[in-house]
Amino acid sequence: MIVKSRSAVALLSLSLAALAFTGCSEESNAESGNDSPAAAGACDPADVKLVGQVRNESNPYEAAWLEGGDAFAESVGLSQERLTYDGDSTKQQEQISQLLAGDTECLVMNILPNGDSDTPPIVEQAQEAGAFLVTQWNKPADLEVTDYSQWLSHITYDGVTSGQQIGDALADAIGGSGGIIALQGILDTGAAKDRFAGLEASLAEHPDVKLLDQQTANFSRAEALEVTKTLLTKHGDDIKGIWAANDDMALGALEALKAAGKEGQVAVVGIDAVPDALTAIEDGAMTATVSSDGPWQGGIGLAIGYCVATGELSVDDIADRAWFAEQFLIQQDNVADFTSPTVDASEYECDNVFSRSQGPIS
Amino acid sequence: MTSPAEDVEVVAARPRPRRGVSLRDAGPPIALVVVFLVFSVLSSEFRTLGNVQNIMDTASVLAVVTCGITFVLLMGSIDLSAPGIMGASAIAVALLVANNRNDNDLGLAGVLMAVLLAAVLGCVSGLALVLLKVPSFMTTLGVCAIGLGVATLMFGGVQPNISDATLASLAVDRLLGFSYLTWLAAACVLVGYLVQRYSRLGRYAYAIGGAEEVLSLSGVKVAPYKVAVFTLAGAFYGLAGVMVTSQLSAGLVQAGKGYDFAAITAAVVGGTLLTGGRGGVLHSTVGVLLVTVLTNGLVQIGVSPYWQGGVQGLIVVAAVAAAVLPQRRRNQVVK
Repeated sequence: MIVKSRSAVALLSLSLAALAFTGCSEESNAESGNDSPAAAGACDPADVKLVGQVRNESNPYEAAWLEGGDAFAESVGLSQERLTYDGDSTKQQEQISQLLAGDTECLVMNILPNGDSDTPPIVEQAQEAGAFLVTQWNKPADLEVTDYSQWLSHITYDGVTSGQQIGDALADAIGGSGGIIALQGILDTGAAKDRFAGLEASLAEHPDVKLLDQQTANFSRAEALEVTKTLLTKHGDDIKGIWAANDDMALGALEALKAAGKEGQVAVVGIDAVPDALTAIEDGAMTATVSSDGPWQGGIGLAIGYCVATGELSVDDIADRAWFAEQFLIQQDNVADFTSPTVDASEYECDNVFSRSQGPIS
Repeated sequence: MTSPAEDVEVVAARPRPRRGVSLRDAGPPIALVVVFLVFSVLSSEFRTLGNVQNIMDTASVLAVVTCGITFVLLMGSIDLSAPGIMGASAIAVALLVANNRNDNDLGLAGVLMAVLLAAVLGCVSGLALVLLKVPSFMTTLGVCAIGLGVATLMFGGVQPNISDATLASLAVDRLLGFSYLTWLAAACVLVGYLVQRYSRLGRYAYAIGGAEEVLSLSGVKVAPYKVAVFTLAGAFYGLAGVMVTSQLSAGLVQAGKGYDFAAITAAVVGGTLLTGGRGGVLHSTVGVLLVTVLTNGLVQIGVSPYWQGGVQGLIVVAAVAAAVLPQRRRNQVVK
């Protein structure tokens, strides 16, 4: 039995590898000879190859990210190659290796690393192959972008700020006093830690708001439903507000409120601005969320790479290579601006690609 | 446990000592009662009627998944396809009943089609097992990926939210204090038990798990029953996917995330052995309740979320160890 399954796996991986190989070699370009990777600006705009990689397309936020990448690619007359790795670190590394085994001269990659520890090998490989790399969200704190010439930028968002923004919005919604519960994300992720720290900062400023309980629902809608139901039976009517570290959990909490017949009586806030959350805010079922602007993220990484590859921007001129991008608090009064997000094309112009920078990552 | 059924089919096959409730079957129910009592003493919120309703509602989806997986485990096979099949059926049902993505409004027919899709996926696992002789571990893992793939294709980047009033109300409206989903789960357990006890399929599942060679030697064609069991399990996962969709009012690709191991854990905690031939739907349901009470109780008594995962794992390992203790001699080799 074991031998059989092993050979099946071997066969499968062999054929996958073969498939990937043919895919890569087809792409390979006749142009060669210039082997200095740092020869930025050597690329004809038409030769630039754009790649966007995220976890999966079954998540609205990451699907919007890839759409944004497509939109940018179209604006410069190219197309984006979409890669998804199903949240599997090994698969992500394999895809990167296969990609970099092909023609890398004018390759621009806008990558969402699965976790902090997945970033260093991606950076090392891109540096060696001379591909232009922009990463977002995840990076070990001690890995310096400036140590690498090909790693153009790392973009992330200050989770403390967003956690505090929605914490403040929640406090306002419940009139500045009352009990709230918090649904945390996956506890060992930076995003979950920072966002919760933001909530704590907000609570410090609103002494009459009391955190009754905090539980993890692992960023999952289904888990948030169960946890919220349990907490509703535990604290009952003391709960005036629910703070969730992402919108999926906020939406799960809304379902729990619906099941308990408390819809509309408890304020709910989240982060990420997924489409359903925006609808809920429009309808008044949810109070606030924070947007990192997924479509912009999908475009901006490619834009920075494109600008450097074509020589319109020099790596040495980038002030902060690792930077926080601007995020937007969405409430009922401004939700209409975000329901059909469009990125202003001027934000992708080479002298303007850093317009949303909020300063270096500290 | 006395059955009025005329034991036609299994004249010689059934071993006598199976009759009656033995001590070893009483372990998990006793553990359930003890755990329940301990939490009741520790937390006044835990012992409220509202919380008991909440526990039952929470257990409903897992109970249905576990019902399906129990038949597979009885045969001594394993099934990891639940997340994929549930995801496919969740998205399918969300797109077939009234929703925000298209103009379908099939109602109950949509639910049946989603369950049918799930049954077909389960059938694929079974066929791959008996025709290609690939171990169930691999085939079901593959079918899980297929299911997630089908779900992702149907998902198409926009979350399908359901507006079908009946389906959405199943999770909210209550009958005698429990949500309709809980009653649905109870019905599934009952059907599962009847199939296990009174149908040829159920009894052969035991026999395959106990001694497949003997069954083959006595002229029974085992393969069709194996396929049937996987198909039945698939249908249960499909229904569970529909239930999750009803709870969340939306079809999620990740609707079944984690349910494969949660169901296997619940089944084993309840006394359904991974080696096959022992346990059953009722055993597994006790396991489901035990696991759910544990999750709920740890929140109610206020264990820090940073500790919960570890504490829960510890209790589960202890419960399984206690459950298999009486059978230690039977499982001389533990691998």
